[in-house]
Amino acid sequence: MDLHETREDQAFRARVRAWFEENKPDKLETLEQRKAWHRKLYEAGFVGMGWPKEYGGQGARPMEQAIVAEEMARANAPGTINGLGIGIVGPTLIAHGSEAQKHRYIRKILTAEEIWCQLYSEPNSGSDLASLRTAAVRQNGHYVVNGQKVWTSQAHIADYAVLLARTNPEVPKHQGISYFILDMHGSGVEVRPLKQITGSSEFNEVFFTNVAVPAENLIGAEGQGWELAQTTLGFERGGNVLARVTRHKANLNRLIEVCQTLPRDGGTALDDPLVRQKLGRMLVEVEVLRYAGLRILSKLEKGQRPGPESSVDKLYYSEMDKRHQEMVQEILGPYGQLEEGLPPELELDSESLQGHEAGWAYNFLWSRAGTIYAGSSEIQKNIIGERVLKLPREPRADRMGGKGA
Amino acid sequence: MDFDFTQEQVMLRNLAREVLSQECPTRVVRQMMDDPVGFSEPLWQKLAETGLLGITIDESRGGQALGMVDQALVLEEMGRAVYPGPYFATVLLAASLIRAGGDRAQMDAYLPAIASGKLKATLATSEDTRTATGGPEGTALHARPLGGGYALSGTKRFVPFAHVADLLLVGARTTDSSDRRRGITLFAIERDTPGLKLTSNVSIDRTNKFSTLTLEEVRVDRDAIVGRVDEGWEVLRPTLQRAAVGASAEMLGAARKCLEMSVEYARVREQFGQPIGMFQAVKHACAEMLLEVENSHSATYYAAWALDADAPDAGVAASVAKAYVSGAAREVCGSAIQVHGGIGFTWEFDLHLYFKRAKHFEALYGDAEQRRELVLREVLASTAVPVLA
Repeated sequence: MDLHETREDQAFRARVRAWFEENKPDKLETLEQRKAWHRKLYEAGFVGMGWPKEYGGQGARPMEQAIVAEEMARANAPGTINGLGIGIVGPTLIAHGSEAQKHRYIRKILTAEEIWCQLYSEPNSGSDLASLRTAAVRQNGHYVVNGQKVWTSQAHIADYAVLLARTNPEVPKHQGISYFILDMHGSGVEVRPLKQITGSSEFNEVFFTNVAVPAENLIGAEGQGWELAQTTLGFERGGNVLARVTRHKANLNRLIEVCQTLPRDGGTALDDPLVRQKLGRMLVEVEVLRYAGLRILSKLEKGQRPGPESSVDKLYYSEMDKRHQEMVQEILGPYGQLEEGLPPELELDSESLQGHEAGWAYNFLWSRAGTIYAGSSEIQKNIIGERVLKLPREPRADRMGGKGA
Repeated sequence: MDFDFTQEQVMLRNLAREVLSQECPTRVVRQMMDDPVGFSEPLWQKLAETGLLGITIDESRGGQALGMVDQALVLEEMGRAVYPGPYFATVLLAASLIRAGGDRAQMDAYLPAIASGKLKATLATSEDTRTATGGPEGTALHARPLGGGYALSGTKRFVPFAHVADLLLVGARTTDSSDRRRGITLFAIERDTPGLKLTSNVSIDRTNKFSTLTLEEVRVDRDAIVGRVDEGWEVLRPTLQRAAVGASAEMLGAARKCLEMSVEYARVREQFGQPIGMFQAVKHACAEMLLEVENSHSATYYAAWALDADAPDAGVAASVAKAYVSGAAREVCGSAIQVHGGIGFTWEFDLHLYFKRAKHFEALYGDAEQRRELVLREVLASTAVPVLA
């Protein structure tokens, strides 16, 4: 057991930190500015770090990826913009795409010359994604797509998408799904921003009306879509485990500062034992997240894949964030709910992952998303129960031999 | 970056598990619960032979000179086996304190005797005044200079295995100081010293027997002082950090055992025609238990490593571990009873042994509230800590 950073990693961290100090941009307003920043990160070698070198990546170790992400969070620098493309689409194409598909799409994913989104969830297919109904019907050398997707991040700026659609309704639901590349600028694709409880629109609804998708845009074989979506493992693993902690801690440090100015009973909120207990609890829980992150990185560094255990990680940090945002609200009282008019000495000056200002109120509302997206807490607990603890699987109506959706 | 145990550490854990499963099954634990002495001398000698008593003591004094990670591995096994006896009191508390503050003569006198199983010892820290951090600020038991030595009077509470300890380590106030942590001096007092009185307590965890210790004009020489006069805090602080991590390891052991028992039970116990583990209500409870156990593992061993490595955040990490694991073990052991239903509430079923073991350590050496306060103070006071980096 040795949790020291190696000399090499320390030196690498120092270089990365210096780079961000020198290059961190002021606020990015436009998509073009964000693309330019992304390009700069790419040229510095900080994008697609885990990608194989032959595809323009760095073949970097998980620890190096984690260091860059952590330093980026530490500098409070804006992030990259093609996260889904780099995290999911690229690796999927590298693993399962045809040579022509790889040649056409991969390079521009890393450089963010083309932005990608992921068309998975549907209004009636959330946790039960395999029940999706968007149909792709083969006609004269292309597929005709009709249906609707929801919770699509980046759809409003995306050039391309990966799409899960049903090509065969006559077989059990998991077997009738195919995986496509879809041109988001094509005719019949309509993107509508989805306004969330935050008042902002990080997600979209996407509607398809007789969208023609060329047959060569099928990834893998027809009916293989579910398998591809399930088995795709990105190269960018472990990158976020420390960055998440750093970001969370920065907000917590700001909260402690605010507590030192917030008047309470003749003193400040920091004198209040109840407030202190909450701050102490949050500090403890986020430190534990850091230790657990180091444990994950240690595994990744040895070339072990985090299996279903990554469900433990996701379950913990998303539930933790929700708990902490509630405590922040308890400490700040009605100030915490202010979207406008918050005295400057109480403000949280941070950026959301989506690149806009995120105050206490926004973070509080946003925390409700974490335990729903990317596999809800209930789904994570099923995975932990069944695949880690080997508890018996639930009998499921949809696996009792019925037909597709 | 390597969070895994070394091969030697895995062997050490296996050794501890093997000795305890052979010599200390719950049948033996239950005998000791009913026994007024509460531990087995032959098993103590066995622990000496296997090197577990001298685990952190230097080699020249008959020990293995291993670190806190190794110590935590053994303590996790102790928790898992609900080992009844003065191991925590002697090996973790007393030996750590003597190593931290003892002079050469004290180390020569006590450490080889602990390693070889000849000497049992304990540390008395708690008094009636509850402090915000669980530290010794509330020490009221006082020592006044008398002749060439001191006379001690006062009361200590919850002194683990004092009734079998040959040597009692006691913190006493020698000077009234505005900084309540200053002015405390530590004394090593042999049990047959006149004026010592022990009153045994019966607590819910009968595998950990403790006593109230009363001192009435107990006279000791100057050479009984461990560390420097008035600066006992310097010796107590590292000892209490180790105690926090050691207690976390014990709770982790108890919690992990509870998780394993619950998962096993949920697989085989049937109601409504199916194993109860098939129901999400039970499955999800087990998943939450796993999360708490894995986080407790990360917290305990990170803190143990940080102490060994003398990392700048070692103090924070020890408190983080104790605060986190205290809550986690409470949840896990409690859920275990719930998953088992009625059988888990019976005396004859072993589950309550682990539940109570975890509860014992939850309340001592800084409970979760006290450790949270300590974490906040350390974070506010220090810039060396990554939290404020």
